[in-house]
Amino acid sequence: MSNFLLAQLTTPNADVTLILPEIVVALAGIVVMLYDSFFPKQKAVSGAIGMLGILISAVLLVLMWGDSYSGTAWSGMIAHDNLRLSFGLVFLMIAAMTILASTLWVEIEGVPTGEFHALLLFATFGMMMMAAGNDLVVIFLGLETSSIATYVMAGLRKGDLRSNESALKYFVLGSFASAFLLYGMALVYGATGTTNIPLIAASVGAAKFPALLLIGSAMMIVGFGFKVALAPFHVWTPDVYEGAPAPITGFMAAGPKAAAFSSFLRVFVLGFPLVAGAQAAGILHETWISLLAVLGIITILFGNVAAILQNNIKRMLAYSSIAHAGYATVGFVGAGLAKTAAERNEAIAAVAFYLFVYAITNLGAFAIVSLLGQRNDRRADFEDYNGIGFKAPLLSFSLSVFMLSLLGMPLTAGFIGKVLVFRPALESGNVLLVTLVVVAVIGSAISAYYYLRLLVVMFFRERAVDWTPPRVPSALMTAIAAAVVAVLYFGLFSDGLIRRFSTAAPKAADVRAER
Amino acid sequence: MEPNLATYLGLSGILFTIGCVGVVFKRNALGMFMCIELMLNAVNLTFVAFSRYYADVHGQLFVFMVMSVAAAEAAVGLGIFIAFFRNRQSIDVDTASILKN
Repeated sequence: MSNFLLAQLTTPNADVTLILPEIVVALAGIVVMLYDSFFPKQKAVSGAIGMLGILISAVLLVLMWGDSYSGTAWSGMIAHDNLRLSFGLVFLMIAAMTILASTLWVEIEGVPTGEFHALLLFATFGMMMMAAGNDLVVIFLGLETSSIATYVMAGLRKGDLRSNESALKYFVLGSFASAFLLYGMALVYGATGTTNIPLIAASVGAAKFPALLLIGSAMMIVGFGFKVALAPFHVWTPDVYEGAPAPITGFMAAGPKAAAFSSFLRVFVLGFPLVAGAQAAGILHETWISLLAVLGIITILFGNVAAILQNNIKRMLAYSSIAHAGYATVGFVGAGLAKTAAERNEAIAAVAFYLFVYAITNLGAFAIVSLLGQRNDRRADFEDYNGIGFKAPLLSFSLSVFMLSLLGMPLTAGFIGKVLVFRPALESGNVLLVTLVVVAVIGSAISAYYYLRLLVVMFFRERAVDWTPPRVPSALMTAIAAAVVAVLYFGLFSDGLIRRFSTAAPKAADVRAER
Repeated sequence: MEPNLATYLGLSGILFTIGCVGVVFKRNALGMFMCIELMLNAVNLTFVAFSRYYADVHGQLFVFMVMSVAAAEAAVGLGIFIAFFRNRQSIDVDTASILKN
């Protein structure tokens, strides 16, 4: 081992070009932070720097697609595969949408703009590292980088009791979940003797302590379950989402959740595969598949039923985000049961596409909720949307498109996403998974009630008090328009993106660390 | 008795359980946070024990990362607690109940 370390020190395998997209985002965050400390009065420049960084990073990421580089960088710490590239693109899109959607909010609430944008960029950097991490250490560090930045963002409205409460709950329960995840990582390390995911996959069959492997993976399911808000680990979600400022809530429901899914997928689908002839690996594989399927069933049913009972739109969207985590789990479990690498990549791409669509839709919806909510999101109940349909036709139309996409209406991107994540699970023919898909379809039917309720409220209710539509700033208009166009476009022409997501870099995910 | 791997794992399991129970039953946010730190230290002990058992440095490296992250978490957490305390004159989590169904 010491020889290995010595060799690493003399010839460090530190290929900076392979993590350039991540570095650019982190650099943009640092530049924003510095700029803000010299010009604290600025409102728009830090956002522009952030957008520029995100754009450069996205271009670099797209250029990396299918390049001739094979292998892992940084001594096997960083992966170079479709999971990383497609999720990276999703996170960058989320960050860009959040910056655009929060322009008005930043203005009226007097939030420290530079701090907010720097935190957002650091959170994005952390999420990208989570998707890129090929080692439990990198995944853990990425997770904490994004979580710590998000804790602060939830509490950005310092004087507001609800924002404080949201940050406090998010912080305590988030670090509680991290401790579980970490204990799981420690036990998996103990059972296999390595923290590198391809090496874990290679040694699950011959693990020294199979029992620890089982306990460790269960702990990791608890930890990741908290982060992606699977029932019964979702308790923090509604309170935190309701209390946090609306643009941040949109970010939290889309970004950290998708990031947690990306590492969750990497650790479980790629790290705990089915190894032929190895009993311990077989038991582990079967256990996590069935456990996740059961959690998915509970999550979908609970999220949808609880969403019906809500009167606050932000809370309703919080429960709907729980349900959507359940739908994404269907694709996840399907990826776990895939028999060939191609099928597995397709299922992973389906989950990435689903979360991409969910993120766009959700961020668009939260942009409108924050616009209509006014200061401190006071106007976020269903009654506040009474009869606004024909008074602000563009906003109501956009919000309706988002609701229909969340519902999974054909011709919207949400429909394609659902079909894609359900397919691998159905094709596997496993009884539990077919049940899961059936429950997911029933859940979608239940969800029609609360999504369509918003449409009914907007278009068919009378408004008692006078109401003038708010002024829509151009940045917010861009974000909403982009989201509507994306939802409708990917509802019809999603092939290109899905193919791109499923076939990325050469030697996808099967690269072994060189040691 | 010479301490072996099982002793360390047992101790870290006990510490983790104490921390976990503490988070569930403590009502003071600072106390809860201390219990979370206890859980993280239990994890560190597990890593170090296995690191020694396998004669592999990766476990110890992981512990460094956990410690630095715990420090960052503490800095942010205390800031959040102070903001909460300023507005409410208490860090009892039971007073955090505006957001409920």
